[in-house]
Amino acid sequence: MENSSKKSGRRNFLIAVGAGSGAAIAAVAAKTVPQKEASAAKKDEQGSGYQLSEHVRKYYRTTLV
Amino acid sequence: MMELAPEDAARADFYALLARLWHSGPDAALLGAIAGANEIVAEGGQAGLAEAWRELKAAAAATSAESARAEYEQLLVGAGKAAVTPYASHYLVETGRERVLVALRDDLTELGLKRDQASFEPEDHFAALCEVMRHLIAAGSSDAALQRQKKFFTRYMHHAYNPLTDQVMASTKTSFYGYVARFTKAFCDTEAASLDML
Repeated sequence: MENSSKKSGRRNFLIAVGAGSGAAIAAVAAKTVPQKEASAAKKDEQGSGYQLSEHVRKYYRTTLV
Repeated sequence: MMELAPEDAARADFYALLARLWHSGPDAALLGAIAGANEIVAEGGQAGLAEAWRELKAAAAATSAESARAEYEQLLVGAGKAAVTPYASHYLVETGRERVLVALRDDLTELGLKRDQASFEPEDHFAALCEVMRHLIAAGSSDAALQRQKKFFTRYMHHAYNPLTDQVMASTKTSFYGYVARFTKAFCDTEAASLDML
């Protein structure tokens, strides 16, 4: 009983702040597939200016202490 | 799939969006989806999340994918030390980051999760933590599942999200990501308060 009243309190809170129903977010979340391949493929377009891209980022990660 | 309450399905979607936005700059399709999404409807005085969402929608409509991506790279991916670091353990302790990472790896192993071999990101990247929360939420709305979420959030996200989002909002390099940070903070505030009720 204790647990279910806590859970319904939480549910009511989530609904009150607007985080309880996913209508607004669900359609957006569907577009969230990571774009790793896309960003890796784009690095050639970027002219001569120094740009951080996936391969550079990986290098920095390996040097992180 | 275990039974998933509607509010938990919604939370999983919030975390999926946060994981994506903190992983790398949004593409045009994602910006368009945010700009065109419905408003969040809040009741009474609890308008923080709804307002942050409205502002993020407006910012998404006014931002190109190129500039959002450039902003992400400038802000969160830096040589040596980025303007703002997205790694949670940085905010958890002054020293001993490795110990937090070890504890996190142990917890992830216990949960049956492992870093993708193709990923060079340490496990405490904020995007990865959001992804773990999404995974834990998708496991169902049982008491045990909720307690696992509460434990993980409390241990790894709770003390990191405020300094992380504050730093992003304070950065002069920020425009779109300032709104991402504000929305992230509003959502994590909601998470902290709601998980605290359990």
